[in-house]
Amino acid sequence: MHFTPRLQQLLAALRCLPGVGPKSAQRMAFYLLDRDRDGAGELAVALRSALDEVGHCEHCRMFAEQALCTVCADKKRDAGMICIVETPADVIAVDDSGGYRGRYFVLMGRLSPLDGIGPLELGINLLERRLREETITEVILATSATVEGEATAAYIAGLAEKQGIRATRIAHGVPMGGELEYVDSSTLSLALSARTQVPTDAVD
Amino acid sequence: MNSIERVEFEAAFLLHAMPYRESSQIIEVLGQHHGRIGLVARGSRRPRSRWKQTLRSFQPMRMSWAGRGTLQTLGAAEATARPLVLTGMRLMAGWYMNELLINLLHRGDPHPDLFAHYGAALAALSEGKELEPVLRRFELVLLAEIGYGLVTDRDAVDAQPLQPERMYAYVADRGPVPAVVGAGDGLVLSGADLLAIGRGDFDRPERLLGAKRLLREKLNWCLGGRSLKTRQVLAAMLSDGVIDGIGA
Repeated sequence: MHFTPRLQQLLAALRCLPGVGPKSAQRMAFYLLDRDRDGAGELAVALRSALDEVGHCEHCRMFAEQALCTVCADKKRDAGMICIVETPADVIAVDDSGGYRGRYFVLMGRLSPLDGIGPLELGINLLERRLREETITEVILATSATVEGEATAAYIAGLAEKQGIRATRIAHGVPMGGELEYVDSSTLSLALSARTQVPTDAVD
Repeated sequence: MNSIERVEFEAAFLLHAMPYRESSQIIEVLGQHHGRIGLVARGSRRPRSRWKQTLRSFQPMRMSWAGRGTLQTLGAAEATARPLVLTGMRLMAGWYMNELLINLLHRGDPHPDLFAHYGAALAALSEGKELEPVLRRFELVLLAEIGYGLVTDRDAVDAQPLQPERMYAYVADRGPVPAVVGAGDGLVLSGADLLAIGRGDFDRPERLLGAKRLLREKLNWCLGGRSLKTRQVLAAMLSDGVIDGIGA
């Protein structure tokens, strides 16, 4: 079976997407060319303009179309709090939780020396400058609960401590609607060690 | 043609994990009887993967795998004890040991003694034992296991036993050579210090320092020009002054 040169190029390009192999690439390409040429055109234009216009926020490294992202540009947000996350997807997740009105810093990864990812690759110098120059009262460490994520949190906590800034780590525990029987032992032991006082005002 | 190999519940440590395809990982593992092996952990990055808690570095576990060739498939992974908790410099030391194992062991070469030493070294690090001697003993065992051990009992010229009071210059690819006064600028140590280093006895600071320089030179030689990423990252972290340098 022979594809034309341009079709071959399209198939190869589609395979840069995660989880897309030769079969899926072929299905996508045929669909776009055969069934939905308008959609394909829109996709091409959107991709081009996103590539040209979307960069990283100078302040927090989140995706942004101006120098600052929408969160950093928002004057109503608490500038004294900064939440450290690994990826842009984590910013969306934390923000959608609705419980946080401060600002962010996106590491775009986590410390992983075996992959050659150190402080430089995570933009730690930019974070350090923010900790030094802005009036920040609390750094919330929302990195993942892996060996690398914990190491990243500990490292940044050290930086914050040097500036006399309080560093907190998000709690690990039992998920909502979770039954204890099915919670793994390490999560359960963390949940126990970080237990909280039950509010009793309803009883009084 | 290779036949299908099947290994059941072997004691193992994960050394490194890399994302693979949409939801899987390729993991480097040190197994008790099979040495360094590469496995595909299918679906281990899915949100509800049963391996999420187990597949982490410094977690004692048992693993089952099967397949043929150099990259086999993980079948089971069960924690056998609590993970060893390493922080700061000790965590960097753990990662450094992992990187050495990945770079210096051939896949499939069995190293049961090294496996035991690795576990003991991690335990010593997590218990707060002094860091440098732990690392130096691990490096000594690792080099001996791969056939490039330091020569610390006889000289390299005529294989005479080392004399404690004599001075020797250590030549990286040969061993100790009786030192000539005023000649050469290599690493010169007394026979007594070399014998002690061979036994893993670092009671005196000059022995620890000597061992470090000898081992560093030999490891670099074995790595054949490859640089260790953990060393580079550590250097960057030390420059921030957050982690206290004990000079790794």
